[in-house]
Amino acid sequence: MECQNARSLIPSYLDGELTQAQAGPLRQHLLDCQPCRGSAQDGKNLKRWFAASEPVAVPAGFAARVARRALQGDTGEFPPSLAAPRAEEERGRMLRFVLTCTAAAAALLFVLSLGMRQLALPHSDRMLADSSPQLSRAIQELDRLNAAERKQKRAELDAVKTKPKAGPDAPLESGKKP
Amino acid sequence: MQPRLMEREAPDDTCLVDEVLGGSQASFQLLVERYEQRIFNLIRHYTRNPVEIEDLAQETFLKAFRRLASFQRQSSFYTWLYRIAVNTILDSLKRRGRSPVQAVEDLEAVPAAPSAASPSPSATLEREEIARITQEVLEGLPEIFRTVLVLREYEDMAYQDIADLLGISIGTVESRLFRARARFKERLLQKHPEFGNES
Repeated sequence: MECQNARSLIPSYLDGELTQAQAGPLRQHLLDCQPCRGSAQDGKNLKRWFAASEPVAVPAGFAARVARRALQGDTGEFPPSLAAPRAEEERGRMLRFVLTCTAAAAALLFVLSLGMRQLALPHSDRMLADSSPQLSRAIQELDRLNAAERKQKRAELDAVKTKPKAGPDAPLESGKKP
Repeated sequence: MQPRLMEREAPDDTCLVDEVLGGSQASFQLLVERYEQRIFNLIRHYTRNPVEIEDLAQETFLKAFRRLASFQRQSSFYTWLYRIAVNTILDSLKRRGRSPVQAVEDLEAVPAAPSAASPSPSATLEREEIARITQEVLEGLPEIFRTVLVLREYEDMAYQDIADLLGISIGTVESRLFRARARFKERLLQKHPEFGNES
């Protein structure tokens, strides 16, 4: 096996990804070739940095909490600690909502004002007051009083015409207008 | 504290999935308990913030619950859940602008670092100290490199599984791993040159 070929296989070899048919010749080459053996040792050294560390502590009751939230329909998207971009989206959504509400309120106000104006207008050309028996009686009474007044005035005029003319010294009847 | 449900005889995942689809909250709780530790450990490689870790784990399980009816059972439940977890993590990183997608091709075109000897952790370093340094170096890597390293080195996933999970070819997995390791080594020596003399 050539060194170049061996070097390209070493990472896969250390990761356990080579078949026996590939690994056998490489092992033999590593026994014979000190520089390539050094290269393999180099790869092993690097792997030592990835030794397992202490497991992370899972908070008490985590599973129960998550299961409860899942069954309650919580989608779990965008956890609060990652919410900075979500806050911007929320603000955008809120702005759109407020604008939509404002537009809807304006439209509703416009329609209402049109409706109120329509209700205030007369619905026919007849400008009649409401008729009622009381109103009719009042009108009849007024007519009767007017007729009586006219009759009285006519009688007074007739009386003035038939009365003899008085001299300049004749006193005016008390309570009568000149 | 909520009672854990692990005490009863453990049914397999498929049975639990059927029960959850039938509306069983207890069965879903059991599934969560079974995999919560592995999901938390996976997420830890992307963020050290405990609140974020919990949020992402919760989002993963809630997504899994909502999509359970679409679980085809061609792979194991954990593989399916794992895929949801990785996608949830990568989505959250994108949302926060930590993963410039347009840079993927550029990154893969970048030549590997010169082949210096890989530093090995000193024998005197505690396991937690090694983990801390590794995490620090990983956090400085582009997401595409970090993800293949995490899946391969911590989760011990085969190339084919990584390819399926990320929707890429095995060849891309190999080349991405090669470059990821080179970048890891380069960055480790930049941040901790003291390890450069110990190999």
